[in-house]
Amino acid sequence: MPSEELTDRRSSSGASAVRYAGATKRYGHSAVAAVDDLTLEVPAGEICVLVGPSGCGKTTAMRMVNRTVEMTAGDIFIGERSVRERSPAQLRREIGYVIQQIGLFPHRTIAENIAAVPQLLGWKKDRARARTTELLELIGLDPELGERYPAQLSGGQQQRVGVARALAADPLVMLMDEPFGAIDPISRERLQNEFLRLQAELRKTVLFVTHDIDEAIKMGDRIAIMREGGKVAQYATPAELLMAPADGFVEDFVGADRALKRLALMRVADIDLWEAPLAHVGQATAEVRAKLAEPEVEVPYPLLVDSERRPLGWLSKRDLAAEVVPSKPDSPLGPLLERDDIMRDALADLLQGEAQYAAVADAEGRIAGVLSVEIISEFLASPKAKSEEHGAVERPHG
Amino acid sequence: MASLALTAAVGEVGKGFLRERTSDTLPCQATEKLFCFDWAKDNIDRYGTPTVQHLELVTLAVLFGFAIAFTLALLAHRRRWLRSPLLAATGVLYTIPSIAFFFLLLPLTGRGVDTAVIALTAFNLQVIYRNTIVGLSNVPASVKEAAKGIGQTDRQILWRVELPLATPEIIAGLRIATVSTVAIATLAVFAGGGGLGVPIKQGGIDFKTNIILAGGIAILMALAFDVLLLAIQRLVTPWERVARA
Repeated sequence: MPSEELTDRRSSSGASAVRYAGATKRYGHSAVAAVDDLTLEVPAGEICVLVGPSGCGKTTAMRMVNRTVEMTAGDIFIGERSVRERSPAQLRREIGYVIQQIGLFPHRTIAENIAAVPQLLGWKKDRARARTTELLELIGLDPELGERYPAQLSGGQQQRVGVARALAADPLVMLMDEPFGAIDPISRERLQNEFLRLQAELRKTVLFVTHDIDEAIKMGDRIAIMREGGKVAQYATPAELLMAPADGFVEDFVGADRALKRLALMRVADIDLWEAPLAHVGQATAEVRAKLAEPEVEVPYPLLVDSERRPLGWLSKRDLAAEVVPSKPDSPLGPLLERDDIMRDALADLLQGEAQYAAVADAEGRIAGVLSVEIISEFLASPKAKSEEHGAVERPHG
Repeated sequence: MASLALTAAVGEVGKGFLRERTSDTLPCQATEKLFCFDWAKDNIDRYGTPTVQHLELVTLAVLFGFAIAFTLALLAHRRRWLRSPLLAATGVLYTIPSIAFFFLLLPLTGRGVDTAVIALTAFNLQVIYRNTIVGLSNVPASVKEAAKGIGQTDRQILWRVELPLATPEIIAGLRIATVSTVAIATLAVFAGGGGLGVPIKQGGIDFKTNIILAGGIAILMALAFDVLLLAIQRLVTPWERVARA
């Protein structure tokens, strides 16, 4: 079907950069601007989170893009075109819009809600219907729910529909105003992950407003921290923000636990692991003891592995007192991590398991190294590690 | 002046509505009986014309009332400052006793259906106007914001979002207006507008069978209008009936 191919191609490439050029909003003759001379660029296909305390102008800054707030000076460009070039209504049909209160049309079915923008754009019925079905699948809703009314869906489902409605006409830019703010924490986390998965596929340019720094760090490719008076205090990647806050305001806003937050941005694979002395079943314990005595040994316990080098457990002093390595180790393995695990979760596993060391396995389950609480704390403390992190940081999306 | 007009009105409608079939009418009229079935059976056909007239009065008054009040409500919805003055103005029209209104209008519009319909329409405005305004302002702000944000124009927001969502309140207003108009239209007889007030007026307060028949027809008519409007409401607002998640 050629039409489907067309939508597919468009959804993978339909994104434009957003550029604020001195955009300013001043209400009446107020001395303090709501948004003051904002200049920043959001590259196409990235999520830019506007974050800050209430009253910092983040929502105003976002709403100037679709002209639900008209700026009083400066300009904003989507791609090469100023937002002022089109009528507000036309402009808004090219921009996805998701708000905290969702705002689904209660008198329209789910399918009609999703097809709202295509309908405004005058799409043919067949095309709109096909797109609606595609989007319902994309957001993981049974296409049969398309016939229901919003009141018949849970809050989480409604918010997914809100996202689908915003995506329906394949917009160049998405504006999301605290989209998951009114959702319970568990559903919220799930919706965040779902959106990041969608975004990995769709690569929209997204402006995302939140007051929650943790959400900002999780969702943003870039974060603009705003302060009272509508000024940007710092515009940087999450890692930069956590490592080098521009000033006291940013430092306070990011929080005293920013070191811990950085762990949320790293995976176990991003850090140099320790090597455990390995022991095999039936091996002479003398050999293992000799290995332990070597000066460069970092882990003082031998790790028992099977013939495929899959970790089985830790050997204790008592195990080593025997002649040969037993098939059942004295201490259980404890937490087993994977190289792809997010560092913060890995630390949580370590602490929860009351373990000093945790074995890290590769994709095949074979031992890749050992992570310890000590490695993590050294890593966070060392400036050298910080500079390494620049290159190593991978976004925890997936 | 008013009493003169009243006498004239009585004289005109008094022309033999109940007196044509003298032999069977008078005994029933004279008794203390609450309801004479025999008389009712023989004379029910006499109520046909007044009933049709009554239907006409109510339908016209509600249609005109709706057209005017709805337009005023839309105006006031766009221009906030109009809301209170319009509410006060329709309130005055609502408060004037209908019968006084008929007599006030007589020198201007003369006797007849026109006068009756004008007064009944004026009476309707308040309820329809107020309910439309309330319905429009009860539309959730988030829904309007979303409608604006996805690129609907003000006109599209009004017709596609606000009015559909205000429909239950608007129809509720129409139901109240219609039922009240059915009752008040029995006074149209004093404006020479006909209707079910004619037999009531002519039969006098002692002829209970007649009052019960005419009043009963009015009640049935009010019920019928109410059920009809309710059915329309359910038909046009299917989302109101779905089971909540």
